[in-house]
Amino acid sequence: MIRFAWQVPFGEFSLKLDPLNLIFLLSIAVVTLCAGLYAGSYMRAYRGVRSLAAHAFFFSVLILSLVLVVTANHVLLFLGAWELMAVATYFLIIFHEEKNSVRRSGFLYLIATHCGTFCLLAMFFLMAQAAGSMDFDRIAATAFSPAAASVIFILALLGFGVKAGFFPLHIWLPHAHPAAPSHVSALLSGVAIKIGIYGLCRIIAIVPTLPDWCGYFLLMIGVVSGLMGVLYALGQHELKKFLAYHSVENIGIIALGLGVGLLGRTHQQPFIAALGFAGGLFHVLNHSLFKALLFFSAGAVMRKTGTGAIDQMGGVAKLMPWTSGLFLIGALSICGLPLFNGFVSEFFVYFALFQGLLLFPLKSAAFCAIGILSLALMGCLALACFTKVYGIVFLGEARNPDVVTSTRSPQDRGLDLPAGMFFPMLVLAGLCIWIGLCPWFIARLTWQAGTYLTAVNPAFISGQKIFSALGQVIAVSFGLLGIMTMVLLFQRIGSRIAALPRRETWRCGFSGFTPRLQYTAASFARSILECLKTILVFRKTGSAVLGEFPARVSLASGVHDAAEDFVFRPFYGRLRDLAKGIQKNRLRYTQVYLIYILFFLVFLIVLKFR
Amino acid sequence: MLLLKSIVLQWLYVGLMAPFLCGVIIKTKALVVGRVGPPLFQPFYDLLKLTRKQNVYSQTTTFIFRCAPVVVLSSLLILSLFIPLISQPAPIRFAGDILMFVYLLGIGRFFLIASSFDTGFSFAGMGASREAFFSCFTEVAFFMNLIILALLAQSISLSQMIGASTPLSWPLFGPALILVVSSLFLILLAENGRIPVDDPATHLELTMIHEVMILDYSGRDLAAMLYGAMLKFLIFAGILVPLLVPVRLGQAFPDLLVFTAGLIAIAVLVGIIESIMARLRLNRVRHLLLAAFALAFFGFIVTLWSRL
Repeated sequence: MIRFAWQVPFGEFSLKLDPLNLIFLLSIAVVTLCAGLYAGSYMRAYRGVRSLAAHAFFFSVLILSLVLVVTANHVLLFLGAWELMAVATYFLIIFHEEKNSVRRSGFLYLIATHCGTFCLLAMFFLMAQAAGSMDFDRIAATAFSPAAASVIFILALLGFGVKAGFFPLHIWLPHAHPAAPSHVSALLSGVAIKIGIYGLCRIIAIVPTLPDWCGYFLLMIGVVSGLMGVLYALGQHELKKFLAYHSVENIGIIALGLGVGLLGRTHQQPFIAALGFAGGLFHVLNHSLFKALLFFSAGAVMRKTGTGAIDQMGGVAKLMPWTSGLFLIGALSICGLPLFNGFVSEFFVYFALFQGLLLFPLKSAAFCAIGILSLALMGCLALACFTKVYGIVFLGEARNPDVVTSTRSPQDRGLDLPAGMFFPMLVLAGLCIWIGLCPWFIARLTWQAGTYLTAVNPAFISGQKIFSALGQVIAVSFGLLGIMTMVLLFQRIGSRIAALPRRETWRCGFSGFTPRLQYTAASFARSILECLKTILVFRKTGSAVLGEFPARVSLASGVHDAAEDFVFRPFYGRLRDLAKGIQKNRLRYTQVYLIYILFFLVFLIVLKFR
Repeated sequence: MLLLKSIVLQWLYVGLMAPFLCGVIIKTKALVVGRVGPPLFQPFYDLLKLTRKQNVYSQTTTFIFRCAPVVVLSSLLILSLFIPLISQPAPIRFAGDILMFVYLLGIGRFFLIASSFDTGFSFAGMGASREAFFSCFTEVAFFMNLIILALLAQSISLSQMIGASTPLSWPLFGPALILVVSSLFLILLAENGRIPVDDPATHLELTMIHEVMILDYSGRDLAAMLYGAMLKFLIFAGILVPLLVPVRLGQAFPDLLVFTAGLIAIAVLVGIIESIMARLRLNRVRHLLLAAFALAFFGFIVTLWSRL
């Protein structure tokens, strides 16, 4: 641990490195570096069209503020960097400011983040008042009463939850991600929303006396965010919106890990606590890698096809074989499948939940069971989501020849995207596989961070149990690779006769086939979504085909965001009406306002000299 | 070296047993309706015949279509090492191996679904959609059962959870175990696409899920897919047998005989069910799968109750 402090004119300026922010710094470093490289090539199309200097400036400001936020050891510095980050992100999101929808999305983000900051101000005010100092170390040494700790935790959940995108507070995410350029979406989803998780972890670290309901609550937030995120993702037919909702799901998995960690801490089970925290933090790092990779490849596909509508695409793999392969690696990682990094972190979280099931008292064990079941369901639904997107976008035949124009010959083995975009994606994909097959280095780092959050002497917690299991997991993964090679050899080398020339797909004798008859994302997801229509707002518009000579009909189906449509929209509508009412009834004279100011000053003077 | 030997022996047993069980099911179905039926070893001949055939690929397909059989078969081959043959411990066993178990099934499923999209055929897409839909139910129900077994055996390693070396006590845990076993049996039927969830007998008229997805495969790829399906049946049956049979003789060979007898009994049972039932309508399958979950859920309540 390094600690260095120095004085600047306004208050204290102290930074601190510890095992917790090391994880976040690592993901910031990797993702911003890759995003910067990617942007260099991705933004070339806009050179000369518009000024890129402002974009580059805010990009650098964002990186600086991200690093400051996670290393700040003082409340004022933290809040200052936090605001800097919010504003820089806003300017990055509204790069395509000529579009009305982009401006609206950016504004939504700005409102959301400031609502969060409001809660944070209140929270830090409470903490600083109780501790008598604004230094994180001094606050950590303070013993908070259970009531104060509860209020702090709720405010932290609201304030940091908006940034992280916990379920009902996530509404800015699916608007901001599609509006921003792809490398900014990757930064937002990979790093910026994790800063909310960082804040929550920091509160968990500096308030060791959180009451026991906090663990249950965080676990349930994880369950709800995860399930609703993945279900909304399943109902999305726009590539970047789909990925944005998946971030909500992964934030849910992270919250699940942190929740079981908190439960372990309250039940004096340091192993489970460290494991849960480590799992959550591991997933933070992993998610930033594969989500950035997915956004980069989505950006490459959208650049080529000019649209994000999944159901318009098809057969992109033949057009962009390299991008399709990299997207596949990202998809397999995010589904948490073995050989890739997503599995390792989900293994940690599952392991913690199962240990909790066996060792916790009854009530907490039941919560762990809920966590396990919902994590299993999330895994399945994520698999459905990503087979859907990969299958519809990259495989099959082009549904709309105007969108997917095949100009590439099968013999062409060259890169399908600029090298400047390809290289960072390759790095991220390599890291995903590296962590999947050789997780030791990262696992140790996250384990240290986990023990740091447990607030117990690390010497008393042995990670031997999880690391030996992890060793077996890796052995089985390599075994799987070995068997795959063997099966591949058997399939290829042993066969005496070469494969026949390629034919059409056998369509059971049906000959009037056009690519538009292929299965679509909407129809793939329909059965699951209709089954759950009691909790999802699943809407269909259009009509079915009727009669012998049917007229031209169209049908569209999709899932509406309940949190947005039924909670925030009516709420803000009410608020606007109220504000309008006040505006209409106020007195429109400057003198009246001067009188108000005078009254207020008098009130203050009286208050002071009372 | 010992590990290598046990792996080879396990693969030898599992590899020969899987097509044989398939033959047992087909034979049972034939006998129930009064036919002679194909010989018990017919699946072996079919597989051998397929390995000598050429592969035909569609113009639409990409490398995913060629990867899928390899991934599916390899994942199931390594999964077969997770199964303890009663007192013979499983070659792969460690704390948390059940998670690896479920997610290895997942990687096979990912490639299977992707490969059916790769053909660009809407019928395959329908099969894929159903597979994804039903697997959500089966996986959650499977995890519910795992939770119960973990609580009963106080372990999260598959071999101990299903009581490979020392059986779980039926007198003590009877009610919970009955629920677990019946739920796992329903999961076995669903995961392997047997009646009443799916009809594996045809390719087109009655079949709705698994055979639909592999419709475009031929030659060795088809052999790999079919062999994978047979292995999957054996793996799920192999989880059920140690739970059902509370006898452990302590010697390798007699225990293996008991295990084999159990596997054959399950195959016969599946064959009888296929003969006397029709496939459910697809929109009612989810009720059956929810029933599997509900059974397991009651088992969970019973388990928690006994812990109070």
